[in-house]
Amino acid sequence: MTEKIIEVNSLCKTFKIHKRATGFKGAVKDIFHPAYERKKAVDNVTFSINEGEMVGFIGPNGAGKSTTVKMLSGILYPDSGDIKVAGYIPYKQRKEYVANIGVVFGQKSQISWDLSPLDSYEVIRHIYRIPPKKYKENLERYTELLDMGSFINQPVRQLSLGQRMRADIAAALLHSPRIVFFDEPTIGIDVVGKDKIRKFIKTLNQTDNITMIFTTHDMQDIEKTCERLIIIDDGKKLYDGSLENVKKGYRSSRIIEAEFESLPVSLTLPHAVISNADNNELKKLISFNTDEVSVNELMTALMNTHNIKDLSIREPEIDAIIRDIYEGRIVMN
Amino acid sequence: MKDILSLFFAYAKSGLKSRFQYRLDAIVATLAVFLREAGGIIAMYLALLKFDTINDWNIDELLFLFSLIFITYGIFIVFFMALRDFPDWIRHGDFDRVMLRPRGLLTQLVLCGADWLAALGHGTLGIVLFVISANRVGIQWNFAMAVYYVVAVISGVLIQGAVFLFFSAISFYVVETGRLKGIFYWNMRKFAIYPLSIYNKIIQSILIFVMPFAFVNYFPAQFFLRKPDMAAYPEWMMYISPVVGVTLYLLAYSFWLFSLRFYKSTGN
Amino acid sequence: MTRYLSFAAIKFRSKMAYRFDYVLGTLHTLLLFVVYWSIYKALYGGASEVDGVTFSMVTTSFIISLGLSSAFEKNEMFLQDKIKQGTIANELLKPVNFKLRILFEDMGEGSFNVVFNFLPTAVIASFFAELQAPCSVLHIPLCLVSVILGYIVLWEISFIVQSWSFTLFSVWGLITIKNVIINILAGAYIPMWFMPDWLRNAIRWTPFDSIYFTPVQIYLGELDGSEIAFHFARQIFWIAVLWAVGEYFWRSGIKKLVVQGG
Repeated sequence: MTEKIIEVNSLCKTFKIHKRATGFKGAVKDIFHPAYERKKAVDNVTFSINEGEMVGFIGPNGAGKSTTVKMLSGILYPDSGDIKVAGYIPYKQRKEYVANIGVVFGQKSQISWDLSPLDSYEVIRHIYRIPPKKYKENLERYTELLDMGSFINQPVRQLSLGQRMRADIAAALLHSPRIVFFDEPTIGIDVVGKDKIRKFIKTLNQTDNITMIFTTHDMQDIEKTCERLIIIDDGKKLYDGSLENVKKGYRSSRIIEAEFESLPVSLTLPHAVISNADNNELKKLISFNTDEVSVNELMTALMNTHNIKDLSIREPEIDAIIRDIYEGRIVMN
Repeated sequence: MKDILSLFFAYAKSGLKSRFQYRLDAIVATLAVFLREAGGIIAMYLALLKFDTINDWNIDELLFLFSLIFITYGIFIVFFMALRDFPDWIRHGDFDRVMLRPRGLLTQLVLCGADWLAALGHGTLGIVLFVISANRVGIQWNFAMAVYYVVAVISGVLIQGAVFLFFSAISFYVVETGRLKGIFYWNMRKFAIYPLSIYNKIIQSILIFVMPFAFVNYFPAQFFLRKPDMAAYPEWMMYISPVVGVTLYLLAYSFWLFSLRFYKSTGN
Repeated sequence: MTRYLSFAAIKFRSKMAYRFDYVLGTLHTLLLFVVYWSIYKALYGGASEVDGVTFSMVTTSFIISLGLSSAFEKNEMFLQDKIKQGTIANELLKPVNFKLRILFEDMGEGSFNVVFNFLPTAVIASFFAELQAPCSVLHIPLCLVSVILGYIVLWEISFIVQSWSFTLFSVWGLITIKNVIINILAGAYIPMWFMPDWLRNAIRWTPFDSIYFTPVQIYLGELDGSEIAFHFARQIFWIAVLWAVGEYFWRSGIKKLVVQGG
C-alpha cells in the first residue's frame, strides 16, 4: 500500500533581486529608491511523491531546485500554490512538521567543527527530544552501517570529508525521520567515499521505507540510487518520470557533432534538430532519432550538401541526456 | 521548563567544550574583552583624579552607573548573542538549520548562541564594579532595593535584547545591518555609559526615546543615588524601565514574527 | 620608492569605490568626538582652564588623536588571515618587501580616512566645539611630519603583535589588549596633561607619547624649535627600535613557516 506523502500544487516563488546602482549619486538614490528585478525561481511546479519513494531532483545551478526543496522543508514561504508533506503544511506548521524530516546539506554541516560527532549527537538528542532507548538503538545501528566506530569520538576537524559526511547523514537520521532530503551529499568526496554513501542511502530507503529526495549535480548519484527523476530548469518542471524512461527514450537518439569547412548555409536535414555548439560557428550539433531516420540516410544527406571537416556521433550518456534536456535539444513529454 | 533547561545545558556544555579546545586563546580572549571594556573606565578614573567629579557624580557613583551597563550586557550576551550576530547566521546558512529543527526559533537562538567567555569578561567587570561601588555610594540596601535592582537588570537586558531582535528582523529584508547597529547601538552605548545629563538635549532625547539606554543604567542608578541632575527629568522615569523593556520587546517580537515570511535563505 | 608609493595610491583609489561608507564613517568619528567633548565640557564645568590647560586645547587634542586613530582603522587580522589561508607564501614570492608594501598600502588607506573621514569630522566639529587653529603656518608641515612618524610607530606596534600569528591560534585577544594599552597610554582616551605625574613620567620612557601627543604638542605650539627636533629624533628612534623588533619576529615566523612547510 503506498500513499502520497508529498503533494505540491502550482507552487510559485519569486525573488526580488536588488540591482545595485553605481556611483555616489546612485548609492544615495539606492537608499530611497532601490531598483529591483524580479526573478521567478519556482514557476508553477506540480508533483507528488509516494511514501518510500526515492526521487532525484536535478537541474543546473539556479534552476530552482534548492528553492523548491527549501519550501518543502519549511524554510521558505511560497508565494502561491499548495504544499502538503506528511499531512502538514510546512511553512505554517513548521515546528510540528520538521520533527518528521531530516535534511543533509553537503555544503553545510550540522555537527560542530571542534567537537566529536558524538558530542553533537548529544545536543541533537535534546533538540528532537529523542527517547533514550530509540536514541541508543539508532546510534548503534548507524554507527555500524556507516562504519563510524573509528572516528565517532574524534573532533570533526580531524575527519576526512567522507567521514564527516557520513557523520552528518547519521545526525539527520537519529530522530527516525519519515522523509530525508539530501542536498548534494557527495560533493567533493572521493569515489570510494561516494560509493559508500550511495550504498547506504539505497539500503536505508529499501529497508526502512523512508522517503528520500535527492538534489545533486552528480548524475552518478542519481543513477546509483534513484528510480524516479524530476528535472527542473528556469523554475519549471521539465521532466518527471522514471530514470529508465529517460535512458530508454534516448536509446535510439543520437547526436552528430559536425565541424564544417565553411559556414554552413541553408542547413536543413530531415527529422533532425540543429543547434550551435561551443560558440564555434563552424560547429553544429545535429540531434535525431534512429527510429525516424537512419544514421546512413542523414550522413549521406549531410555529405552531399556540405564539406565536413570533422564529425563524431555521441553516445547516449546520462549526463549528456540531461544536458540536452536542459538545453532544449531533446523534448521530453 | 525542565525540558528547556536540559536543552540549555546541552547547548552550554557543547559550546564550552568547543571553546576550550583552544584553552589559551579562550583565556586571552576573555581577558581582552575585560580589558577593552575597562579601558574607558580606567581613563575616567584617571581623569577624576584631577577633576574629582563630573556633574556632581564622584568616581564611586560613576562606577555604580557603569556596573549596570556591564552586568546587563554580560547577561544579554548569554541570551541574545545569536541575535546580535544574526546576519552571520543568515549568511552562513545556520538559520536554515534552526528552521529545520522542531523547536521555537527564538528558543533555539536564545539558548544556543551564548558566548560564555565574552559574557564572563563583561559580567565579571560589571560585578567587580558593583562590588567596589555598591557600599561606597551610601545605598541603604533593603529587600525593596534588592528587588528594584534585579528588576532593573532584567529590564536592561530586555531593552538591549529588543533592540537586537528588531535589527535581526530587519536582516530578513536586508542582510547587511552592521552599519545600522554600529551607529545606533554601539555608538549610543558609548554615550550611555556616562551620566545622561552631560550631553546636549538632542543626544539626551535620543538616549531616552530612540535608543532608550537611559532606562538601562542612568534612571535606575538615579533611583539609588538621587543625584541633583535628576531634577531635569520627571521622577517617574526612574520607575518605568520594566515597562519600557517589556513594551519594546513585545513590539520587536511582533515585528520579527511579521518579517519571518520574508526570509530568503542564502544562495539566492 | 615610487613603486611603494603606487601601492598607497592604488589603495587610496580602491577605497573611493565605497563612498557611501565614508559618510557613515564620518558620523561614527563625529559621535566619538561628541562623547569626549561632552565629558570634558562637564568636567571643566565652565572653568576657563585647569592646570594651565584650556578647554580648547583639550578638544583640539581629542580631535587630532581621533583623526590619527581613524587613519589607523584597518584590518589588524590581515596577517593572521593570510597565514591561516596559506596565501602568505604567494605574498613572499612577489619581488617586493612584503612589510614595506603593507605599510604603504595602509598609509594609502590611512590618508583616505584622513581626507574623507577625519577632515569632514573636524570641519563639522569646528561649528560647535572650541577648536584651536595651528599655532603658526610653519607648524602645519611640522605637525604633518610628526603625524606620519606617529602613524609609523603605531603601525610598527601593530605589526609586532600581528606577527604573533605565526605561533598563536588567534591574535584577536592580543590585538584588543594592545589597543586598550595604546588608547590609554598614548592619550586617546585621556589627554596626557591630566595623567598623574608618575604615569606621565613612566610614559616618557615608552614609544606611546610619540604617537598622538607629539603631533598635538607641535600643533598647539607647546614645543620650541629644538624641542621639536628632539621629539622628531625620539619618534625616529622608536621607529628604528620597533622596526628591528618587528623584523626579528617576522623573520623567525617565516622560518617557522618554512620548517613546517605551511
